[in-house]
Amino acid sequence: MPNKIVHESGNLHVTGKAVYIDDINTPSNTLHGFIVTSPIAKGILKSFDLSDALETPGVHAILSYKDIPGQNQMGTIVHDEVILVEKDIEFIGQGLFIIAADNEHCALNAKAKIKMEIEELEPVISLEDSMKLGLKLHDTIVMESGNINTEFAKCDHIIEAQIENGGQEHWYLETQVSLAIPGEYDEIKIYSSTQHPSETQALIAEALHVGKHAVVVETRRLGGAFGGKETQANNVAIWASLLANKTQKPVKIRLFRDEDQKITGKRHPFLINYKIGFNNDGIIKAYFVDFNANAGYSSDLSMAILARARTHAENAYFIPNIRIESTAWKTNIPSNTAFRGFGGPQGIYAIEDAMERVALKLGKEPAEIKYKNFYKHDINNTTPYGEIVENNRIYTIWDKIIEDSDYYSRKKKINEFNKNNEFKKRGIALTPVKFGISFNTPFLNQAGSLVNIYTDGTVLVNHGGIEMGQGLHTKIGQIVADEFGISLNKVKVNATITSTVPNTSATAASSGTDMNGMAAKNAADKLIARFKEFLTKHWSANTYKCQPENIIFKDNKVIDLGNDLNNIEFTEAVNLLYLDRISLSAQGFYKTPNLYFNNETQKGRPFHYFVWGISISEVELDILTGRHKILRTDILHDTGHSFNENIDIGQIEGAFIQGVGWCTSEEMKWDKKGNLLNHSPDTYKIPGIRDIPEIFNVELLKNAPNPNTIKQSKAVGEPPFIHGLSVFFAIKHATAAVNDHKKYPNLNIPATHEKIILAIDELKNNK
Amino acid sequence: MNSTRNYIEFVLDNKIQKIEWNGTHQLSPTTTLLQYLRSLENHKGTKEGCGEGDCGACTVVVAELENEKLVYKAVNSCLIFLPQVHGKQIITVENLAKENTLHPIQSAMVELDASQCGFCTPGFAMSMFALYKASGVTNESEILDAFAGNLCRCTGYKSILNAAHKALGSKTKDQFSEIENDIKQKLRNIQHKNGLFTTELQQYYAPKSLTEALTIKKNNNKITVIGGASDVALRVTKKKEIIPQILDLSHISELNFINKTSQGFEIGSATTLQQLKEAVKSDLPAFDNILSVFGSKQIRQVATLGGNIGSASPIGDTLPLLMAYKAIVTVKNLSEEREFPLTEFITGYRQTQLKEDELITKIFIPIPDSSVHIDIQKISKRVDLDISTVCGVLRLELESDNTIKNINLYYGGMSAVTKGAENTEKFLLSKKWSKETLTEAMPFIEKDFTPIADARSEAEGRMIFAKNLLLKFWENFQK
Repeated sequence: MPNKIVHESGNLHVTGKAVYIDDINTPSNTLHGFIVTSPIAKGILKSFDLSDALETPGVHAILSYKDIPGQNQMGTIVHDEVILVEKDIEFIGQGLFIIAADNEHCALNAKAKIKMEIEELEPVISLEDSMKLGLKLHDTIVMESGNINTEFAKCDHIIEAQIENGGQEHWYLETQVSLAIPGEYDEIKIYSSTQHPSETQALIAEALHVGKHAVVVETRRLGGAFGGKETQANNVAIWASLLANKTQKPVKIRLFRDEDQKITGKRHPFLINYKIGFNNDGIIKAYFVDFNANAGYSSDLSMAILARARTHAENAYFIPNIRIESTAWKTNIPSNTAFRGFGGPQGIYAIEDAMERVALKLGKEPAEIKYKNFYKHDINNTTPYGEIVENNRIYTIWDKIIEDSDYYSRKKKINEFNKNNEFKKRGIALTPVKFGISFNTPFLNQAGSLVNIYTDGTVLVNHGGIEMGQGLHTKIGQIVADEFGISLNKVKVNATITSTVPNTSATAASSGTDMNGMAAKNAADKLIARFKEFLTKHWSANTYKCQPENIIFKDNKVIDLGNDLNNIEFTEAVNLLYLDRISLSAQGFYKTPNLYFNNETQKGRPFHYFVWGISISEVELDILTGRHKILRTDILHDTGHSFNENIDIGQIEGAFIQGVGWCTSEEMKWDKKGNLLNHSPDTYKIPGIRDIPEIFNVELLKNAPNPNTIKQSKAVGEPPFIHGLSVFFAIKHATAAVNDHKKYPNLNIPATHEKIILAIDELKNNK
Repeated sequence: MNSTRNYIEFVLDNKIQKIEWNGTHQLSPTTTLLQYLRSLENHKGTKEGCGEGDCGACTVVVAELENEKLVYKAVNSCLIFLPQVHGKQIITVENLAKENTLHPIQSAMVELDASQCGFCTPGFAMSMFALYKASGVTNESEILDAFAGNLCRCTGYKSILNAAHKALGSKTKDQFSEIENDIKQKLRNIQHKNGLFTTELQQYYAPKSLTEALTIKKNNNKITVIGGASDVALRVTKKKEIIPQILDLSHISELNFINKTSQGFEIGSATTLQQLKEAVKSDLPAFDNILSVFGSKQIRQVATLGGNIGSASPIGDTLPLLMAYKAIVTVKNLSEEREFPLTEFITGYRQTQLKEDELITKIFIPIPDSSVHIDIQKISKRVDLDISTVCGVLRLELESDNTIKNINLYYGGMSAVTKGAENTEKFLLSKKWSKETLTEAMPFIEKDFTPIADARSEAEGRMIFAKNLLLKFWENFQK
């Protein structure tokens, strides 16, 4: 690959020099922060007495809600999450008290001496129970287009089904961590494992009852996040800040893996009912879908996640008559939260399942049914929420991947294989993705930057995005280096700090590079204008007359294309500007243009553009053990004009495998009391190295520049997660082969080895 | 105890480091190697991802002298107590590069995008480094095996595999080859005396001889015995226990041996599962099969056979297989030695015949007659590093006409202990080894077991798996 640019921290990663929050060498008086959590899922904290516990040697402070100087509140959109329980206990793992101690053992000793009286109440743990009891967190939201009722009556066929998907634990390698260091007056600095420093800052300011200007949140890098640190880093940061504020000593809280898995939110399990109407030709005429999300105990981001489920309910298909209902249901488990795809995977799962059933019913090839229903270029291109689908690339992708993957001839071979093998069955499936880019909530689509050029010609870029492995800082560095025409090693991207770039949005919704890259470019453009203005005057006065539009930045030089004698080293130009008292620092800003959405009508233009892709996977299933292996996966994915192909391919490969995990081995169970049974990697199984496809082809769509985005690229983080669904449906096909595809298997996400053999058992015994 | 040492010595950063327990210590003897490394200013590259040996982020390489050769092993530093590294060299991710020159495995990882968030990277780097230092050409399955104990949530593994292929495809002498003689000399200079490390709350014994160990056991009935500590360490990392007394058998060479006789293998109880795997590969292939999916290489290189038997877990995958091989367990106290067939040795859920003053000393695995067919099948959610949902073992002897002459079926994960499927065996005895008979035998599994539901599987699933294994055995051995 020519001019390959590797991850800016790659060298630090492999040498162990990359500093994560727990690696910061702390002052010797740093205390260990510890959380006393609720052992029950629902109840009332009637009274408590901390006095004996406070006497424990090595204990510096124990705080209850009474000791919070400001608001006891950390709900981000809806204020329905307390920092520490006042009365109502809502899930196992909810924070009751926080302890600052010399070490963990002192804290554990103190915990044992806390006296409390708790009245235990009957919790609601399952989504089904919550629905039966009508425990809606908020009103059902409906998105509608056309008229399903009149259309269903006209359809040749109608299929109704109920499906479900499980949750997913983020399993970022670095657990939640915060180090809070008190400063002068009311000031405090927090190193937090957050994807959203501005929000962490705001919540800490509110809890401490200080101005936001007194709180600085800094994040150098995260050891993975995937949405799990968008809101879920806040509690640890707030708890550490409260303890640091109280003791006036540095306090660090790092969750142990089991603790992290038990108390933080996960991907939402959905229970989905749908009804699909179609004609003999396979054209979908009407679709009704009802999304029910297990939200956990509080709102968190559930309503935004449902918004994305609604706007992805039709995936890449034009469905003229559609009604999408969506409800978040309350249960006594940790509040479920953002996770790569953010409701999109659940929405797409349902329509893909429906497409597969339609194909089975008509005895047709599923890929054909899907193809027939794709959005068209000029007609049938309006989404249920009224946005026109522009620059549709599904057909280009289809043509190439169908040929490259040899889909049809392999399908024939698979049918032969299945005829000749009793205990091994194979399946192949194709799943497309169309994914909308932008936060569904328009105002969040803004970003800031601060670019400083120093007098030696080196550049420091500050921006609001968080580096969590996705290569954001690498790409931002490239953007700025390219703007100034300087070598990449002249540009450093700083840690993300709320005091340099304020009021930022979360690094989420795949938008990190799109928005922060544009903000960084905006700052660079301002600086470039200053260079041009100055050099035009300078050259015209001292050497040769010069037009500003002829000045370019290239090869560490500033060059006048109008006269090659007007030619100066970048560093020299920097110095000239400095001596002329011109600012070498500029703020940048970006807001994604032309976004609007009406929450009442559920219509608008929520997305700047769409990302497209198709994946095709083939699996072999051992029908005795339920074990599958992925024989081959082909992915063709649209990243616009990628300006870092290796990073983009890495994102796609990783997202796909994460999607495969959600669809297959990652399973969570709660007991009736609300204890999470799979609270460690002992029983919660993310994919390992032997779970990846034996043949694994990932390709970027070529010659597909994206208009109106940074370097004509496209966002990459979330959309390829959807490709994991091709493995799920391939497993379903292999399962159905047990019964010669006579019946659609009763198999939901995750298709674990156990769920697969149960589905096979059902097919064989015709249950 | 004569000439006891109250300190440990090991090589780190190419220097001998000494930690002494003399009353003014910060470290507990059950401090894990990971906790120790992370307490140092310059060794924070080694990460804690889970604290239970399931993710490999804490992987370091321990080099030790074996027959005057320096052998490099990747291990989980979160599951090793500090005294266990006495006399060894610790290599961490910070040690790989020589000044600013990256080690070949490091440059391959950087060039081929093998890191994204970077948090798992030190662990992968160390696993890859251990492979790099292993002699000979590395094949694909060895590469996969070496990384089975490392989880990555970002990359999807492909780039890591690419880097491994690149680095391992052209091994050259590295900086560690240059200093090997010096390190060997340093390790030789470390004294191996009986160890006793005492704090206000803990006593940690690391004897050199079996007699010493048995004396300690006799005098301290409740002492916690460890081989590799891969199980007991979880009590420290996860349950935050302060274990009052520990007896560490890892320095007793009398317990670490494999003797092959014409009858079978005599294996010292402190032999690691990896040593066992390699030694019995050709004679007891079923062992190699199951150990390939037992824990991870990091765990197998410390976990011992004696520990696996002594913990008597209902799902310890080696147990049903050892039963099928009719293994004999030898236990000993200061005055006598006793022998038990493994089936009798295990008496209940995590309970054995072992008396308070006894230790497991060796295990004898008879090499079966060539007419005996043994197969083991593990059912688990994930291929690697996953505890069995159900594990089944078949021991079969057929008459020349395909009639079943002898059959034993042992299952793990189906009840509180690993046990035989007696009703099913009885039904099958003297019948033909055929798909039909095995299908007919399936309902008998229900008479043999009443499995439970837990985090891994529901009872119904376990039952179907257990039945299906009969057909799986047939599929693998069609006559």
